[in-house]
Amino acid sequence: MEADVRKATAAPPPVPLGVAPKGAEPPPAAPRGIPISAQRWVLAGLLGAVLLNVGHVAPWCLPLASGAAAWRIWAAQQPTRLLGRWPRIAVVVVLTLAVLISFRTLNGLDAGASLLVAMAALKLMETQRVRDWLIVLGAALFLLLAACLGAQSLWLVPLYAAELWLLSTALYALGAGESAPGATPLLCAAGRSLLLALPLAVLLFLFFPRLPGSLWTVPKEDEAVTGLGDQLDPGSIAKLVESDEPALRVRFSGSIPRREERYWRGPVLHRFDGTTWRRAQRDLGEPPAIEYAGPGYRYEVTLEPGTHGVLVGLDLPRGLPPDLYTAFRSFDEQLTDSKPSDNVISYHLESFPRHRNLDALPAAMRALDLTLPRARNPRSIELAQQLRADARDDHTYVQAVLDYLQNNGFEYTLTPPKLGANSIDDLLFDTRQGFCGHYASAFAMLMRAGGVPAHVVTGYLGGEWNRFGEYLLVRQSNAHAWTEVWLEGTGWVRVDPTAVVAPDRLHSDFDDAVTAGSASGRRTHAAPWIASTVQAWQAMNAWWQDEFINFNMDRQLDLLGSLGFKDRDYEVLVGILAAGGTLWLSLLAWRGRQSAGSGSRDALSRSWHRLERALRRAAPARAAHEGPVAYGERVAAEHPELAATLKPLTREYAQLRYGPPAGAAALQRFERAVRLFAARITR
Amino acid sequence: MSSSAPSRSAFKPRARLERAVSAWARSRQGEDRAPLTLQSKRIYILPTRAGLVAALLLFLMFLAGLNYQNSLALLLCFQLVGFALVSMYECHGSLNGLTISSAHAESAFANGHGELLLGFYNAGAKTRRSLRVRATDVAPKFFEVAPHSACLVSVRYQALHRGRQRIDRLQISSDAPLGLFRAWTWLHLPLEALIYPAPLRLRPRPPPVGLPQRSERERRLSGDEEFAWLRSFREGDPLRRVAWKAYARGAPLMVAHYDAPAGAQRVLALTALHDLPLERALSQLADWVLECERRGESYALDLEGRAVAAGHGLAQRRHCLEALALYEG
Repeated sequence: MEADVRKATAAPPPVPLGVAPKGAEPPPAAPRGIPISAQRWVLAGLLGAVLLNVGHVAPWCLPLASGAAAWRIWAAQQPTRLLGRWPRIAVVVVLTLAVLISFRTLNGLDAGASLLVAMAALKLMETQRVRDWLIVLGAALFLLLAACLGAQSLWLVPLYAAELWLLSTALYALGAGESAPGATPLLCAAGRSLLLALPLAVLLFLFFPRLPGSLWTVPKEDEAVTGLGDQLDPGSIAKLVESDEPALRVRFSGSIPRREERYWRGPVLHRFDGTTWRRAQRDLGEPPAIEYAGPGYRYEVTLEPGTHGVLVGLDLPRGLPPDLYTAFRSFDEQLTDSKPSDNVISYHLESFPRHRNLDALPAAMRALDLTLPRARNPRSIELAQQLRADARDDHTYVQAVLDYLQNNGFEYTLTPPKLGANSIDDLLFDTRQGFCGHYASAFAMLMRAGGVPAHVVTGYLGGEWNRFGEYLLVRQSNAHAWTEVWLEGTGWVRVDPTAVVAPDRLHSDFDDAVTAGSASGRRTHAAPWIASTVQAWQAMNAWWQDEFINFNMDRQLDLLGSLGFKDRDYEVLVGILAAGGTLWLSLLAWRGRQSAGSGSRDALSRSWHRLERALRRAAPARAAHEGPVAYGERVAAEHPELAATLKPLTREYAQLRYGPPAGAAALQRFERAVRLFAARITR
Repeated sequence: MSSSAPSRSAFKPRARLERAVSAWARSRQGEDRAPLTLQSKRIYILPTRAGLVAALLLFLMFLAGLNYQNSLALLLCFQLVGFALVSMYECHGSLNGLTISSAHAESAFANGHGELLLGFYNAGAKTRRSLRVRATDVAPKFFEVAPHSACLVSVRYQALHRGRQRIDRLQISSDAPLGLFRAWTWLHLPLEALIYPAPLRLRPRPPPVGLPQRSERERRLSGDEEFAWLRSFREGDPLRRVAWKAYARGAPLMVAHYDAPAGAQRVLALTALHDLPLERALSQLADWVLECERRGESYALDLEGRAVAAGHGLAQRRHCLEALALYEG
């Protein structure tokens, strides 16, 4: 035999005759085609991903992607050839240039996402194999990621989830290949897998060890974030007041400050050039000591980005936030984060509305807060000197200036006339119309001209209590500016000149003072159920912001603490992950066994197995080659007393299993008979 | 005798690794017998190339989420990780619990392709998709099994040399549902195929005996083959005998049955080819058998020490080819 084989290999290749395979089947090596339905799933997924990014990618991205998708659908039905090699390279160059022209860079989220759209659209022009379609799908997934990085508001989450579902379905459609089932089974399969994956996702989200910071510096996006700037010029507050965006949210432990105490101190501005106030350029050392008088308020601030690192707190915080180790305090009692974050941050503070300085004002600080630009606002300086001459001391001078502002027909408006280079002169003697920024600016300038150290403080005034979330919501529209003046014996005293011009501003929200036209004004007067719906939605958003978006390493370790772990370190996290992951995997395995093995037997099989199990006591088990009837005969031969019942039963089974389809009634009859029979034997 | 063809890649590390792994699997699994139901301990699973690329993609997503400290991006990434792991389980599950109910190797001609007929049964409640079965180095065959149902799959194998050929190993694999993972199992069933000599035409057939010689013209007029009757199609019937015209009219698939003129027969003798090497002689005999069968003639086979009496038809063909396959000189 072996010898023959060796001889045969030496022989010349014989003519293969009559060895054609049986039946006509396609060559087995042919690649599996991608059905048009699967292609459409991927295209829909890609378009969805582009739509989610439409806010921040280049404007040509959506038309490009839709055009490419439409072309692909058209090309799939035509015997068209896809783009050749050189045209493709040309398109790559053109699209890259388009991104460069739109953003002047290829780096960063927006440019990167645009480039991704461009490349995915291009890939569509040459997609033929499964691999190409998978690449398009991968690009769509990255676009979804880019959308998440771009915006993570609560209302977007359902959209993101739908998009993820769509992409998963496309993946299933591609995986199923030619045997692709219809849309509903695919959607169900993908949805089921996503739901099964959710517990693991939550587990990983909560317990996967986080980093304290970034791995590498994230390129900053050049977009205007609404928020307190680090300077105040006529008009800057008015812009903020139009914005309904939240600025900070405050949760109090204990009592809540009264309305007139809700001054949220932000950037402190010292340098004045005649129109604009700016922050101090350098630190001037230790501030004069402060004596705080109770009662204090303890609270946690959740601060939106846009304050340039300034940590906003209720006037006046004591000490530093214990949970923000990068915070420091400057000479003007300003809390600043030395590593400003682009994200929402939160910190704890304790504030005392009543406080006074114990020491004298150091000379450098006094000099800084008395400086006025030369040759600017001469009429105002003249007015200041006049009022100062009449005043007995600093205190009466402050009062005199306030009286002046109250009694000379000044108006509060958000749309004041434009002011010139001598802005204070224009305001005080010509236009007499302005809002908080104008009056704080004017007041501080008059104070300095009268020899009283003063600076402008910007921040927020007021806040809206959310009874669902039990927090105080301060919006950008609550932005405010006031002054602090140094009075000998008392120290820095907050003076809000706007309160004199528009007393309502103090006692109610801005909305009531400015009745004209603002969106928030309308909302306040809406029906109560709308107001409470809005508040509930805000509370949900706040929860989303606090518990989800802001979930970081510290929160993670806090979570460990609240779960009762004493050691809050990575080992515990890894342990929890391992335990939870194992649990999840065994759930999957259990589910897999259910669907693959005996758990999924049909009712007839279950009954038959019950019968076999019962008979195992009486006779050797059924052999693999034995059919049900033969098995019945054999057992009946060994145990004649069973024959009368057993033989009809096995025949009935064969009939039900292999005969024409029988009704449910016959099946139930069989089940009942088997149960009775098994019970008899077991007895 | 090994079933795998000596391939060019024999000395590449990947091929060597594959061989070592499959040898290890063979030793730990032992011989299999149909029917058998696949269990977890013999199902192997690894990510595919697409799966590795997906893992890289997920890692990049994770880095981006971590770096931007973006909770939603991280959750998306983790959700996708879970999704991929679920697909891993589904991939494993598409093999787990699959029953191989029968396996049979059809005979084939040397250097050609033979067919294995494999019966599968899916006891589970889900369709098992994207299954593929592969024997030796021949391209795989794709199939799927509906829930609670059986199917018969024929897969080609490479026939090597005349004689008995064992098909040592079958691979059943699946990359369902997403193509990110590929689960597979090796079956070591006692599959043995009889390999006929490859037909080879070197000499004209010996003339028929037992009838007076007729002229070529006469033969053509009467026809060597006399149409006898139609019978229903059976697996293995030559397609050229199918009565296509009747089929086109809506009749069931029928095969024309021919009768050779009574008494006319050819004796295909090995001794007539004593000048050829043995294997070529056997190949020539195989060709003659096929030719006679094609023409519907009666023939007898005379190997030294083993003879097959005259006859024709599928059984005769099989007897003769088997005798040729097993002839040991």
